[in-house]
Amino acid sequence: MSDEPLDDADDFDDDLDDLEDEIAPEGNRVAGGRAKAVVEYVARHLVDDPDGVFVDAGEGRDGVTLLVHASPGDLGRIIGKRGRVIQAIRQVGRAAGSTEGVRVTVDVAD
Amino acid sequence: MEWIEVSARTLDQAIELALDRLGVVEDELEYVVLEEPRAGLFGIGRTDARIRARVRPVSREKPHEQRRRRARGNGTRRNRPGGTAAPPREAPTGPGAVGAAGPATREDGERAAASPRRRRRRRGGASVGGGAVPGGQPAVATAPVTRTDAHETEAETVEETSTMTLEEQAATARDFTAGLVEAFGLRASVVTEVAGDDDIEVRVSGDGLGVLVGPRGITLQALEELVRAAVQRAAGGHSARVHLDVAGYRQRRREALAAFAASIAEEVKASGSPRALEPMSPPDRKVVHDTVAAIEGVSTISEGEEPRRRVVITPA
Repeated sequence: MSDEPLDDADDFDDDLDDLEDEIAPEGNRVAGGRAKAVVEYVARHLVDDPDGVFVDAGEGRDGVTLLVHASPGDLGRIIGKRGRVIQAIRQVGRAAGSTEGVRVTVDVAD
Repeated sequence: MEWIEVSARTLDQAIELALDRLGVVEDELEYVVLEEPRAGLFGIGRTDARIRARVRPVSREKPHEQRRRRARGNGTRRNRPGGTAAPPREAPTGPGAVGAAGPATREDGERAAASPRRRRRRRGGASVGGGAVPGGQPAVATAPVTRTDAHETEAETVEETSTMTLEEQAATARDFTAGLVEAFGLRASVVTEVAGDDDIEVRVSGDGLGVLVGPRGITLQALEELVRAAVQRAAGGHSARVHLDVAGYRQRRREALAAFAASIAEEVKASGSPRALEPMSPPDRKVVHDTVAAIEGVSTISEGEEPRRRVVITPA
């Protein structure tokens, strides 16, 4: 453990991220948490480098925007031929959001 | 896989027709041009475009076996004259094009038609770079079949064979789907069934799965796309065709669609005037075509462009 300080720091950051994601200002789970989990799950399973995938959730006036980050070499897999995969991810994200009453938009960070 | 032959006024129409008959989308079609359309003079002597087509098979042979089979010439692969190649018109077209795919020309075509892209794809490259075409200007006039189309890439990936068995791919599909259902916070059972040579059916069942289906099945459609993508990624190279159903939605819908098509067909038969149905996806149109084909006195045609293509039921 002590010989891997960087990993620990990363874990700590991840924990912080998770906390921020899980806790909304009012103290409830953040809106769109399920959609985020779904989108993250899908993205991780479509890429060669699952650890390179993370999803930023931003809350705007008209719902939650999920921004999918992935290793540069994996963006093609997330977008798919003629954008078919990202369209599917968008639809599935919307569906997951609908179960929480949240309008969800999904984009890919480039 | 069954080959069908269709003809139409233009090549595009013939391809559309084949897509309909086979009930697939363009990605899944493999075809050979038997005859290019000719305009003729004042409409006299005009000939239709004729193609032979089938659902693109998903082969799990080892690549070298496929190559050997190709070298014998099975007449299905389309050679591309390639970036460095001569204009397509130099190569034979028309009915002879397929016939020309015999052993001798096939060998030549195999080497000559290797575009840079093909060469890269080929892992064992020796047979390509084998010095037969020094100077990098291959003689392409012998390329046996000249039709090049947007689906070449897909067709060629058949050469890259998955290292996973169909059962392993099915397990991947099941695990991915189960995890996805769980991410939705739902409980459901996921079963897979291997059907035919290269089809995997994934069925999700349980209560309260409506969210996975969505309005008119759009979420189900998206999920299917993602399960496919996950299997493709895991399998590498080429993978099986994956079909997803949730809570029996597709099954029920197919049945309802068939019943509906049959009732319209009866109306058309009684009234003698054709009826156009709503635009439908290729698999749905196939259900209609197949249903109506079994009813005497009526037949079907398709009209319009994707995604607004629709079936018209006409008196036979």
